[in-house]
Amino acid sequence: MTLSAEAEALTGEFWAAAARHELVRPVCRDCGRNFFTPQIACPQCLSENWSYERSSGRGRVYSATVVHKAATPDVPVPFRLGIVDLDEGWSMLTTFVDGPGGRLPAIGAPVEVTWVEQDGRTVPAFREIVP
Amino acid sequence: MKLQDVAIVGVGVTPQVKRSEKNSLQVALDAAKLALADAGLSHTDLDGIAARWPGPGGTELAPGSADWSTMLGVPLSWIGDSYPQGIPALVDAAGAILTGQATTILITGGQAGVLGGGKVASYTRPGNEFVAPFGAFTAAHFALVAQRHLARFPYARQGMAEIAATIRNVGSTNPDAVMYGRGPYTAEDVLAAPPVVDPFTLLDLCLASEGGAAVVVTTLERARDLRHPPVVLLGAGMEWLRQQYVDPARYEEVWSIGAKAARKAFGQAGLGPSDVDVAQLYDVNSLEVARQFEALGFCGEGEGTDFALATGIGPDGKLPTCTDGGLLSFSHIGWGAPTLKLVEAVHQVRGTAGARQIPGAEVALAAGAGSAAQYYNLALLGRAR
Repeated sequence: MTLSAEAEALTGEFWAAAARHELVRPVCRDCGRNFFTPQIACPQCLSENWSYERSSGRGRVYSATVVHKAATPDVPVPFRLGIVDLDEGWSMLTTFVDGPGGRLPAIGAPVEVTWVEQDGRTVPAFREIVP
Repeated sequence: MKLQDVAIVGVGVTPQVKRSEKNSLQVALDAAKLALADAGLSHTDLDGIAARWPGPGGTELAPGSADWSTMLGVPLSWIGDSYPQGIPALVDAAGAILTGQATTILITGGQAGVLGGGKVASYTRPGNEFVAPFGAFTAAHFALVAQRHLARFPYARQGMAEIAATIRNVGSTNPDAVMYGRGPYTAEDVLAAPPVVDPFTLLDLCLASEGGAAVVVTTLERARDLRHPPVVLLGAGMEWLRQQYVDPARYEEVWSIGAKAARKAFGQAGLGPSDVDVAQLYDVNSLEVARQFEALGFCGEGEGTDFALATGIGPDGKLPTCTDGGLLSFSHIGWGAPTLKLVEAVHQVRGTAGARQIPGAEVALAAGAGSAAQYYNLALLGRAR
């Protein structure tokens, strides 16, 4: 995926960190709000004074599903799609990989970030943690 | 003038097909001609247009509605690139008429020559860098909302299947529907259909098809001189939570989207849910139909599927819903699809729905968008009083 110059300025740091296997998210320096996706200003106080901070990469499943028929024929199915709530109080769309039995993690299940190489880019995914 | 002095006087729908030989501009023009003919008006009677995509000519700076003045050969006093069409365009048009910017406005759009290749429609899979890498698409976003709902109300799954079968069976008997002659279906057929994205099977999900749809909007005063009984705008409401399909929808926020808009619309109309005779809900999937009954005030949370079953949403039920077969079976034409909801609402209210006419339909609800879309809109249409 080729990004516009504006998108690159906003999110290039996220993808650069991903290439180092570090998950980062915007944190507002003025009000402390975590937010995602990256925006030019904090959606709580509208400050543009924010920076990418490293996440623990741990969180819980907010929702999860199995995709049986992909949007385009080049994507292998089935795959597991979901939303993860990270421990720092932000959330992201993601896929689930690995995990016990390759099962779909339940809502509320603990997960941690892992990394997949995809189309020349390192992309975050999550796997279920067995307590 | 007031809101109820704005009327829809013409509607037009081109043949709805899985794949069209035409392009999007051609079907938008075809639909426009049909709506003007239905109204008994000429394109030279128009002084406003809301035709979000495509725009003839395709200028870089102002694509869309502005280009239509060239196509129609008439100067315009108002344009609106409403997002999307359907109810938001109708509300924009009403605003233009009520502020004296225009008197007779065309809303048209659709899609053709764009689907195929084993891919879902391009508008359902945004190229956003935090969406595309994960393979998300519209139905999957709705599925992530549905999974949260079904974790709370697992019994809703059976009711979803009943809803899908009921609406699809309406389309099955509508000769104009893309899925005419397919079916009838039972709830068991829906549950046993190929899975697409859990919990949805192929038969829980709407179509992606091709065709155009248009309506003509003018003043009630002018409408009284035209061919059909005027259908007036009784009330409308809209909600916008976030850009659709980028930041994932939060179930707790989006499950009730439309509730505020419905209160506004019913308040403007001086009506309540029990006054609605036909409901053209936005049936992108089976669960969204149940959700809208809950959000719009027809029943309580978690009761949407039971409400649908107990009330009866088929042609013989107490609240006929998606009376053309809906997005599930009639057609879904991208940004033009919301206009289909207005067209069917108008047909039912003025009594021109033919074999699918619901006797005594005086108040129709038409809706657009849904929970995972993170925006919603609805309009109440009725006979002029």
